[in-house]
Amino acid sequence: MKKFIDNIRSKPAGGILLLFCTIQIIAIIAGLLYPENFRYLNPANIAVLLKSMSALGIMAIGVGILMISGEFDLSVGTLYTFCAIVTATMVKEYALSPYLAMIIGIIVGIIAGLIHGNIVNRFTIPSFIVTLGAMLLWKGGTLLYHGAKSLRYKYESETYKTVLTGDIGVIDASFLWFIAVGIIFYFIVHHHKIGNHFFAVGGNPEAAIAIGINPKRVKLIAFSIAGGCAALSGVVAMSRVGSVQPGGGLGLELEAIAACVIGGCALMGGRGSILGIMLGTALIYTIQDLLLLLRAPGFYFEMFVGGLIVLAVIINVTIRKRI
Amino acid sequence: MNQLNYYECKNVSKRYGNLTALDNVDFHIGKNEVVGLLGDNGAGKSTLIKMMSGVVAPDTGNVFVDGKETKISTRKQSEEIAGIETIYQNSALCDDMTIIRNIFMGREITNFFGFMDHKKMEDLSLEVLESGVHISGIDSPLKEIGALSGGQKQAVAIARAVYFKRKILLLDEPTSALSVRETERVLKYVTELKSENVSSVIVTHNLYHAFQVCDRFVVMSHGKVIFEKNKSETNLEEVTEQVIKV
Ligand SMILES: Nc1ncnc2c1ncn2[C@@H]1O[C@H](COP(=O)(O)OP(=O)(O)O)[C@@H](O)[C@H]1O
Ligand SMILES: [Mg+2]
Repeated sequence: MKKFIDNIRSKPAGGILLLFCTIQIIAIIAGLLYPENFRYLNPANIAVLLKSMSALGIMAIGVGILMISGEFDLSVGTLYTFCAIVTATMVKEYALSPYLAMIIGIIVGIIAGLIHGNIVNRFTIPSFIVTLGAMLLWKGGTLLYHGAKSLRYKYESETYKTVLTGDIGVIDASFLWFIAVGIIFYFIVHHHKIGNHFFAVGGNPEAAIAIGINPKRVKLIAFSIAGGCAALSGVVAMSRVGSVQPGGGLGLELEAIAACVIGGCALMGGRGSILGIMLGTALIYTIQDLLLLLRAPGFYFEMFVGGLIVLAVIINVTIRKRI
Repeated sequence: MNQLNYYECKNVSKRYGNLTALDNVDFHIGKNEVVGLLGDNGAGKSTLIKMMSGVVAPDTGNVFVDGKETKISTRKQSEEIAGIETIYQNSALCDDMTIIRNIFMGREITNFFGFMDHKKMEDLSLEVLESGVHISGIDSPLKEIGALSGGQKQAVAIARAVYFKRKILLLDEPTSALSVRETERVLKYVTELKSENVSSVIVTHNLYHAFQVCDRFVVMSHGKVIFEKNKSETNLEEVTEQVIKV
């Protein structure tokens, strides 16, 4: 038992895992006891829940990796829209294959991330400032490139539908994308040497330099991951919904940071985990779902997520103090 | 000193704004020798150590390795070109990472694709922590650095340097947080290194320790080298006087 507790404590996702399981158990028991009034276990509810979290989840993974490396990207919300619109126009106006268009959209996101990272590196200014500017830049860029009207995006191809909008029972394709991105970055962050460098650079940049790691290069990679994930989440969300709103996306960057913080990422860098980020995202949407099921008015959601952020950080800090 | 110096730097200067941290410093490391780098706080010892490690870029000066002029401007270059390994005064560890990940930070053991071999790194960490300069009290290499005492952190930094050492080991106040017994082990280790053809530079405030292991003493003050003598040509009194004179 003690070993089990120590194990939970030493994992960055330990606290959030405990909180997540507790809430799931309560919700599942309530769902079993009152299947008519509290439809948590209803397949339709589960399907909506899984479907809704993927866009934020994919974005949060990129944002979290950048946070582990000690930097922020506030522009991911508007970049998400920008890249989705680039992808859609590639298909609609240049008749490109939707897969190729998707790759182009992601490359645009990666390039945007590289630009942010290069500015941060070259002028050694805080990424908070650079990406605050970039946030407005991509928002304006979207309007410049496309205008303010909403863009429909339905691609009539069976395979495309299956790959991006299909489902297996209650599991939506977008959720599988989220899981796939999570698994890939789990291996990169926790098992590849570049992952070790993310933690080193975010945790103690002087030590990283002293030992021969180039923080600028590492940060550049993290910025490009954040940009690429934002783009992918934009394309996945657009495909699922079937349209994009040029003014949309703004605000998602803060939700993504919230998911990371709830998931145990340190605001100052050097700590965090992919599992934590994924659970943080899942927790935000579980809370939203539970409130909907309880027929709570919408503003409760923000209040609860606000409380959750603080609660999760308190749990994480308390658990760590007792090591 | 007719023997060819393995490492040499000449006319090295480094300014931080108005402050001259290194003022026309000439310094060399011979083959199979232990150099004591001494001086009051703020004398520029750590700056010189960091300059040699490639972490601090000098404003002026030339560096020679094996008699050949060389440019060393990153940590990787000092490691690859001059075979330098350093124990920094501040240890250079990440608190939120495990001992294993700190030991292999930047030099991870990986497969062809860059994925880490955790098992191998763990085994080697255990080995280096237990052999060489064994320092007690670290039960698992999976512990995070933040959970260690000051002495244990220093031990990890020493273990890392011991594992990766090649030609020159630079030790910047390596024993400041260690117990008497642990300090003796480190000092003994430094003398043993000579038989493996590894030279060292040790920065310390303890002149008794310096006299125990060093072959030559270099005293710095206000960024300048003010005194330099072989052990056989000097004594504790003279070196002490040089270190404390203003
Ligand atoms: N990064 C830095 N920025 C500004 N001043 C520095 C920096 N590093 C060292 N110094 C200054 O350079 C001088 C020499 O420092 P240091 O080499 O650390 O001395 P020592 O190791 O001999 O105690 C000190 O006055 C110190 O304040
Ligand atoms: Mg010093």
